[in-house]
Amino acid sequence: MKKGRIKVMLGNEACAEAALLAGCRFFAGYPITPATEILEVMSRRLPLVDGLCLQMEDEIAAVVSIVGASWGGTKSMTATSGPGFCLMQEGIGLAVAVEAPCVIVNVQRGGPASGQSTSTAQGDFYQARYGSNGDYSLIVLCPSTAQEMFDHTIKAFNLSERFRTPVIILSDEVVGHIREKVTIPDADELTFVQRKRPTVSIEEFIPFKADADGVPPMPDFNTGYKIPVISQAKSLNGNRGNAKEADENIRRIVSKIEDHMDEFAEVLTYGDEKAETAFVTFGSVCRAARSAVDMGREKGLALRSVEVKTVWPFPDDLVRRALAGAKRIVVAEMNLGMIQREIERVIRQPEIRIELFSKIAGIYPQPQEFLRFLEEKR
Amino acid sequence: MKSAERIEIDRRYCKGCLLCQYVCKFEVFEPGQERSALDYRMPRVAKIENCRVCGLCETQCPDMVLTVVAKTEGKENP
Amino acid sequence: MNPLGEKYLRKPFLPFLFCPGCGDGMIVQSFLQAVDDLGIIDDLAMTAGIGCSAWIPVYMHADVLKVLHGRAIPAAIGLKASRPSRKVVVFTGDGDGLAIGGLHLLHAARRNIDMTVVIVNNQIYAMTGGQVAPSTGVGSRTQTTPYGNLEKPLDGCKIAVAAGATMVSRWSTVHTKQLTRTFKKAINHKGFSFIEIISQCPVQTGRYILGSGSPQFNLQWLKDNCVAAKDPSRWGEVEAEGKIPVGDLLQIEKPEFMEEVRRMNRKVKDEAEAKGGDR
Repeated sequence: MKKGRIKVMLGNEACAEAALLAGCRFFAGYPITPATEILEVMSRRLPLVDGLCLQMEDEIAAVVSIVGASWGGTKSMTATSGPGFCLMQEGIGLAVAVEAPCVIVNVQRGGPASGQSTSTAQGDFYQARYGSNGDYSLIVLCPSTAQEMFDHTIKAFNLSERFRTPVIILSDEVVGHIREKVTIPDADELTFVQRKRPTVSIEEFIPFKADADGVPPMPDFNTGYKIPVISQAKSLNGNRGNAKEADENIRRIVSKIEDHMDEFAEVLTYGDEKAETAFVTFGSVCRAARSAVDMGREKGLALRSVEVKTVWPFPDDLVRRALAGAKRIVVAEMNLGMIQREIERVIRQPEIRIELFSKIAGIYPQPQEFLRFLEEKR
Repeated sequence: MKSAERIEIDRRYCKGCLLCQYVCKFEVFEPGQERSALDYRMPRVAKIENCRVCGLCETQCPDMVLTVVAKTEGKENP
Repeated sequence: MNPLGEKYLRKPFLPFLFCPGCGDGMIVQSFLQAVDDLGIIDDLAMTAGIGCSAWIPVYMHADVLKVLHGRAIPAAIGLKASRPSRKVVVFTGDGDGLAIGGLHLLHAARRNIDMTVVIVNNQIYAMTGGQVAPSTGVGSRTQTTPYGNLEKPLDGCKIAVAAGATMVSRWSTVHTKQLTRTFKKAINHKGFSFIEIISQCPVQTGRYILGSGSPQFNLQWLKDNCVAAKDPSRWGEVEAEGKIPVGDLLQIEKPEFMEEVRRMNRKVKDEAEAKGGDR
């Protein structure tokens, strides 16, 4: 049982509260359903903690300005939904290329294009990982409750500072707009990570030379380091790199995250860990799947739901372990089959059935439909 | 009236654009034959005695390679 | 390297990638002279996008954030928001700043955010090989208007004024002393300052549009076509003659955004604390 205050709040509100607690002092955003509450809460609360919230002219300005603020030394965040997330892709790639810690929230809604602004969906699963151009990696977290909107936002800021990377919180309309109990821990129960800043002199500092953990220290602008930060593939001193230097640069910014997944990857199992039938879920679908597991237990069915909390980099080993012993895997998602592909990639055993229980167009899967699916497709 | 001791041209970075010759009102420069490290034909200081140390060539050189060194009054420069 | 270069250039990055005779290098020097006169190199935070002119700040030994095409202004806003005492200068081009980046220019000017935006206008997309730009003259045959450009060019200065900029000037690379003076004025101006610099591009604009790739010819073209008009009301006359008016178009004092928003926020915070809560 956590200590702290208990409040009933919207998932989006919980996200904003966590960001403030984590030290976010710059938020730039653009109104878009169903993420707008995050911008609105920040616009009311940031001034009260000497921060700044700006509604920008578009999502591109929002994502690029948080990269600027990050290099200025300020923890920064933006929030949007699918259409805005598309616009932000180049900016996300920029944050990766210049290794700027920042947090981007995508409260998913129906797509494609303007889609269904007030309906939930999970169609941005791959866009969150591959939406920008070129080779890169980043971290994507998937909350399924208002509490997780809070917890994952704290985690997102910490991971962004630890790895000098953008971290995406891939939420969806149900989680963003649900109003439920959130326990806000006392500040002394939480750990907050700050980016490494250089300890050597200006003359000795090599801007993009990494420490042993693959992450270079990051000086704030105007603290004397006078560094060139460019969006091109770079050499260690920050200039455009030749082929060999660009190769090393790109590989390092990928491996700095992917080689350290044990620090943050999270997969939970709800229900009977030995059940032969397992659901795989992420985001708001976890909620319905838990109810389905409970309903199944009452009927004498052994079921488990494997909940992927950190979807990217995809936690292959944790997922395999969580699905060990399953003979029938039902991937439940609100799209036409995305995390399903990752499960098929990770579980390459022909005797294990992998099925897709798919819902789109904002039609949220009801718990009894899970059981009906199991029955009908027996 | 000022006069120049010498005009230094940094041959590491000169690109032979000859804008120094163009901006100079006193015909100090001429196209030269020597090539810079970047393989451009550099200007040549043909008439140093004409130079009034106006500084235009130095401030307008697109590669900042020109330095006009003025003569110090009444002394020989080493 | 001249003494100013010795003092301020980022030596390991030399030589400048600019073509022989390009105006960008001249702008580096005019700007560094202003920075030296003001002594502000430590407080300077510069941003740039993509294009030849985007490399101008990179060669200076200062903090530089060179981002995506057209997005130098949002990056600058983030830096300014993070610490308003920074001196923020944006280097952009006629494509980067008026085409893809046009929207950000409008809104930063509208807000009158304290920053200096320098648009280096060479009337073409040079880095990518000479395509038409929003500033290219009618009739010009470029790589993407091989039969002649039919589009009327945008006047960046007029847009900046209309959007709400509180200091607007235009010069050319020929006007080195005026440029240095204007850079200093802009950096010290509290509010959104906009400087357009008509710059020579011998290799693209020179060869494709003006008829010669010679740097000397292109500088002469600037001298012949950029007419200094001290009185802004004369700008229309110069334009009617088919020339480009240069000079100081506007300087007024208006409330500056970062200062105003912080003042309001402090007041809100004080009132909230007086009431004893934080909502």
